[in-house]
Amino acid sequence: MTVALEGRPGRARPTLVNHNLTTASGIGLGVSMIWFSLLVLIPLTAVLVTASSGGWAEFWRSITNEQTRAAIRLTVMAAASVTLVNIVAGTAIAWVLVRDRFPGKGLLELVIDIPFALPTIVAGLVLVSLYGNDSPLGLHLANTSGSVYLAFLFVTLPFVVRMVQPVLEELDMEVEEAAASLGAGRATIFRRVVLPSLAPAIAAGAALSFARAMGEYGSLVLLSGNLPFESEVTSVRILSAIENDNQAAAASIAAVLLVISLLVIVALDILQRRVARRG
Amino acid sequence: MAETRRASAGPTTYVLRVLVIAYLALLVAWPVVLVGTNAFANGTQAMVDVLADPDTVHALQLSAIAAVVATVINTVFGVTISMLLVRKEFPGKRVLSALIDLPLSVSPIVVGLALMLVYGGRNGWLGPTVEDWGLQVVFATPGIVLATAFVSLPLVIREVVPVLHELGTEQEQAAQSLGASGWQTFWRITLPSIKWAVIYGVVLTLARSLGEFGAVKVVSGNVLGETRTATLAVEERYLNFDQEGAYALAFLLASVSVLAILVVFVLRARGTRHRAFERQS
Amino acid sequence: MSIDVSGVNKRYGEFVALQDINLTLPTGQLTALLGPSGGGKTTLLRIIAGLETADSGSVVIEGVEATRLPVQKRNVGFVFQHYAAFKHLSVARNVAFGLEIRKKPKDEIRAKVDELLRLVHLDAFADRLPSQLSGGQRQRMALARALAIEPSVLLLDEPFGALDAKVRKELRDWLRRLHDEVHVTTVFVTHDQEEALEVADEIVVVNEGRVEQVGSPDQLYDAPANEFVMGFLGEVTVLGGVRLRPHDVEMTTAPVPGALEGRVVRALRVGFEVRVTVDVAGQDAPVTVVMTRTHARSLGLEPGTAVWLAPAEGATAVASATPAARPAPEAVAG
Ligand SMILES: Nc1ncnc2c1ncn2[C@@H]1O[C@H](COP(=O)(O)OP(=O)(O)O)[C@@H](O)[C@H]1O
Ligand SMILES: [Mg+2]
Repeated sequence: MTVALEGRPGRARPTLVNHNLTTASGIGLGVSMIWFSLLVLIPLTAVLVTASSGGWAEFWRSITNEQTRAAIRLTVMAAASVTLVNIVAGTAIAWVLVRDRFPGKGLLELVIDIPFALPTIVAGLVLVSLYGNDSPLGLHLANTSGSVYLAFLFVTLPFVVRMVQPVLEELDMEVEEAAASLGAGRATIFRRVVLPSLAPAIAAGAALSFARAMGEYGSLVLLSGNLPFESEVTSVRILSAIENDNQAAAASIAAVLLVISLLVIVALDILQRRVARRG
Repeated sequence: MAETRRASAGPTTYVLRVLVIAYLALLVAWPVVLVGTNAFANGTQAMVDVLADPDTVHALQLSAIAAVVATVINTVFGVTISMLLVRKEFPGKRVLSALIDLPLSVSPIVVGLALMLVYGGRNGWLGPTVEDWGLQVVFATPGIVLATAFVSLPLVIREVVPVLHELGTEQEQAAQSLGASGWQTFWRITLPSIKWAVIYGVVLTLARSLGEFGAVKVVSGNVLGETRTATLAVEERYLNFDQEGAYALAFLLASVSVLAILVVFVLRARGTRHRAFERQS
Repeated sequence: MSIDVSGVNKRYGEFVALQDINLTLPTGQLTALLGPSGGGKTTLLRIIAGLETADSGSVVIEGVEATRLPVQKRNVGFVFQHYAAFKHLSVARNVAFGLEIRKKPKDEIRAKVDELLRLVHLDAFADRLPSQLSGGQRQRMALARALAIEPSVLLLDEPFGALDAKVRKELRDWLRRLHDEVHVTTVFVTHDQEEALEVADEIVVVNEGRVEQVGSPDQLYDAPANEFVMGFLGEVTVLGGVRLRPHDVEMTTAPVPGALEGRVVRALRVGFEVRVTVDVAGQDAPVTVVMTRTHARSLGLEPGTAVWLAPAEGATAVASATPAARPAPEAVAG
């Protein structure tokens, strides 16, 4: 005759967490923070400081230079479109990986991770081989803006898939079955039951893939030809400014990218907390 | 698990399956296979030539050294930060945990620029000082290591943090109640429990480090035989119309990455089986 | 005295988890901390172990002031509800852990581990990993691991809570026998009154961060200090403003002086017992009466039968307080 059920498993108890830092962990934190600052925080701050060193007008002139504007426009357009494609394709891929079963599915799992692990310049070469001037498909994307879209699609492929997949795996099929028993059709179940649970994960994956695309460089240099006003992206603009020894201009454009990265990080932090809560 | 999750196979299932396979084949699989066939278009000659070139061998060595050093640093740093983020409370924790992901979303070119601005020998914030100590960072190996460490910084942490969360603190508390000190608890209980996550993290970091291109391009100076890494050599060969050489070198690098994914894939499958078994028993 | 807890308070933010806890547990005794979930049992046990620090108050173990001692130095054996098995170590290595930490010689460790594994009937499983054991076996391994360090006190947090009913019953009898063999001062947490009543020498009833009553199983059952303890230890029904056990209500079919008249609503047979629900005039809630089947048959009960109810002689009873108020301290016993 059990009176009440224990609801809280022992591992949820955050007891040791409340302890303040011990000497050893304090030193660990200190050393880690110094390293993190030297490697990441100070350099990124240097970008923002250098960008603002010439004043607002100078900054504005750097980022509104006609060629730069075209590059930023292309990058944002391509990153946004590719992110939209990833939202749909990534969710579909995750769905197939989790819910479908067929021989060779394991191979797909491997293929998904290739863009992440492949050196970007190799990725560029990979794309040249199928979509370049010797394209066996007859698709000649070299030196066009299409090459930028293609490269972005390639390198951002894993993000939505890998965010959505674990959430889909944890999703309770019984909830869908319950919805079905209440008369909901497959499309309705997907839209009303599944999609809301996946939404934070999809959004987090989308944020990551947008950020990655905005900063992409290595995978597109070979295919795009970096033609101004046609296939030149923001990071290429930054690189030419660096090569022309114009660090202030480089930093100004970089600051724009950096602010976008920061926004994505904030969005991601919020979304991941939401994913964790739902999961 | 897959058994119960299986959707009833309607026409949608098949259409979706075919679309996904086609998409992945066109975007990833076919192009990757083409790199292999292009690399060996004229037999193994291109590969032999590439490996006989001392500058290329130097580039491969440099990439390997930078990747290994960056991975060691990121592993120690990553495990420390993960432990602190999951097991300790301290002010600024949430900000730190968000900032840790920043390197994943910063453009490699921006990374290179940022490091130049601080460690540049001429007018960097710290560069001249460091150079006075006799250490050249930018346009030298330390700069390549920094750039590599920057871009692969969060990978170990992203693998280890969820596992530490899931592990919970009960085993650690049990060890302490049996008399183990914090240090003993870490080495005897925590580390063995997160071993696989650390290994995935290391493999992913290694793969990512070996392949870094943009950031290294900015800070290395790309000097033949000195600061040219393997990825820079691929670009150089391609731009110099040595396509075969480029493909051969790319094939080498791609093999390493695919091997890395395979290792992680196998380890993960093993880990999942392990966990499923534990849950069911 | 083996464990002395005095004036312990613990808050989590605004929430008061423990309030002025004073407890003294003698050496060698098997004590149960009994109470509803969320009452503060685990918190109290963890404060005794040193896994949690109290905001104020002190803990003395075996005469040693332990309030400021870290868990490593208290020499307590702690058994966690979810076993906290070291998953990467074999059963034998799990048990050996505390001895290895204490840098005991290898052969001494081996001998001790063998002895303990025999004691908990796991000698055949020494080389298995915890994942290859059943829940009950893992719990016994955890117990052996805690006993290996020869703790001055053994603390168990819901040791059988995660096990199925049959294994739980087996293990609880086994724990009782083990305690009679080993005789280490033991405190175990449970929310199952039956478990506490069967196994413990003494029961501490904990509710809402307070100790409601301390006593032997008999004392608690026969003389509950208040309404809460009475209700927690068994079923309660209210008859004429008095709370008592349903089997302590005497029922007759003829008027008896002092008895309350009522009408049978239904009689339900549950195994060898019959549970009769009776509507009593002037009382909102019906009264539940439990009697043997034979007795029920002899009364010839049908829905609508008029009956007279009175507390049996020697019944455990507590005056019923207004529902919102704290249980009345002036409990009427006997
Ligand atoms: N680390 C904690 N942080 C906040 N509240 C806690 C924590 N640990 C326990 N509590 C709260 O203290 C109360 C008592 O918990 P506990 O001692 O686990 O109760 P019991 O073991 O009797 O079920 C509960 O309401 C619980 O929510
Ligand atoms: Mg508890």
